[in-house]
Amino acid sequence: MLWYKSWLETRWRFLIGLALLLCSAAATVFTYPQVMKLMPMVPANISGPLGERIREAVVLARDYRGYVWSQWFRQNGRQWTTLFAIILGTAGILTPASGALFTLSLPVSRARLLGVRAATGLLELLLLAFVPSLLIPMLSPAIQQSYSVGSALGQAASLFVTASAFFTLALLLSTFFDDPWRPLMIALAIAIALGIVAQIFRIHRFGHVPWGLLLTSAVASLVLYYGAVINLQHRDF
Amino acid sequence: MVEHVIETSDLRKSFPGIEALRGLDLQVPAGSICGFLGRNGAGKTTAMKILLGMVRPTSGEARVFGRTPDVEVRRRAGFVSEEKDLYGYMTVEEMIRFTAPFFPRWRADLEKKYLRKFNLPPDRKIKALSRGMRTKLALLLALCRGAELLIVDEPTSGLDPAMAEEALQAVVGHVADENMTVFFSSHQIAEVEQIADRVAIIDRGRIVMSGALDEIRESFRRIQLVFEGDAPQTEFRAPGVTHVRRNGRVLTLLASGAPDSIVDEARALNPLSVDIVPVTFKEIFLESVNTEE
Repeated sequence: MLWYKSWLETRWRFLIGLALLLCSAAATVFTYPQVMKLMPMVPANISGPLGERIREAVVLARDYRGYVWSQWFRQNGRQWTTLFAIILGTAGILTPASGALFTLSLPVSRARLLGVRAATGLLELLLLAFVPSLLIPMLSPAIQQSYSVGSALGQAASLFVTASAFFTLALLLSTFFDDPWRPLMIALAIAIALGIVAQIFRIHRFGHVPWGLLLTSAVASLVLYYGAVINLQHRDF
Repeated sequence: MVEHVIETSDLRKSFPGIEALRGLDLQVPAGSICGFLGRNGAGKTTAMKILLGMVRPTSGEARVFGRTPDVEVRRRAGFVSEEKDLYGYMTVEEMIRFTAPFFPRWRADLEKKYLRKFNLPPDRKIKALSRGMRTKLALLLALCRGAELLIVDEPTSGLDPAMAEEALQAVVGHVADENMTVFFSSHQIAEVEQIADRVAIIDRGRIVMSGALDEIRESFRRIQLVFEGDAPQTEFRAPGVTHVRRNGRVLTLLASGAPDSIVDEARALNPLSVDIVPVTFKEIFLESVNTEE
């Protein structure tokens, strides 16, 4: 029954996230023909870091695989998934507004309460990462393009692993605060800062699996989850 | 069978800037209805939360059914919080269906009985219920657990007199039929007198008086001494004097037990008159929590 409770408490965040990500994935596919038409109009002589980025985007966009990776798996999909990972993580574990005292009066350990909430959130996050990503190979034939399901699955797995770290970060922050706003703002600030760092150091590169990032994210998720369990077990309500 | 369902020893809890419990020694015998009486902020809710493992004590010991508060204690105890905080997004029916599987001894017969008795609309969202209806649902969820112990924090808080009476009668009626212990907090003396057979009075984090309600009522007397001039400042050595109050020519003592030795000591002060009068439980409570001599 804790699963049912967790689902009821997070379903709108998940469903809104899924709808937005699906729309964004579809938009990525269907704007490709327009992007191709605009390509010749991009000036080739822009200098500086901005010019370098534009040239890189143009090079990637010449190939549909490069375009999808750049627009979805590096930018839109990653940003949306990270945002909703944080929103799902801040969905209130034992807040006064969510009947905390009633929940705590049940014969259930706090570790199990958190475990069910984390598992529900991660399952929803898994769907947020995979379903819109798999929509891309399904919609691509509509614009006479193709994108392999295998690539989509691999990239979606990468999205899921990195977003999981932000989910557990938000979960940990939620065990410190009664309101959802402070964990949300702090986690978002950290996500934006790390996003800038990733841009500067070009952590995401086309054709390369960022194993270091994935490993770091997985370890960070475990550590942050462990921290959340410890903090929740020691908290007074 | 555990003689005392609830037992605390030198229980202390500090929050930043506040010492909520300062050595609480409390015993609640099995099968009793024990009223936990104290002013607002006396430490009642903190003590109850410690008994259910929601708050960790700073030091001292709390035992329920002879165990440190844990999952097993919560399986055997029902709890109704002061806020009656339930899941606002669930309907009454969903809330019951959610709660029942956690308790192997869930009483489906009582569930039907109280749904009918309390007139709870199964399809209504909890956030749309009045405070009174939410109290009734919280009571239903606690009473149907098949619990051996019911812990209720301010059962009638925020209820109108009719609704409060209905809630209290539900608890009393339930206890009459089931073999259980009830530990409820209140700052309403009339409420405690109505349903409790034992009381524990807490003041500033300590128990200042506890025992069977009838015995407390019978054992306390007010001894009033009137003097010709101002009442003397004196300390009584006779056992049983719990409070002394001077007011002009009048010296008032609150005493428990046989008053003979106190009266003898009082007469030695040469008062104009000595009167022994019975006191109400309300007066006993007010004297117990009154820190101004």
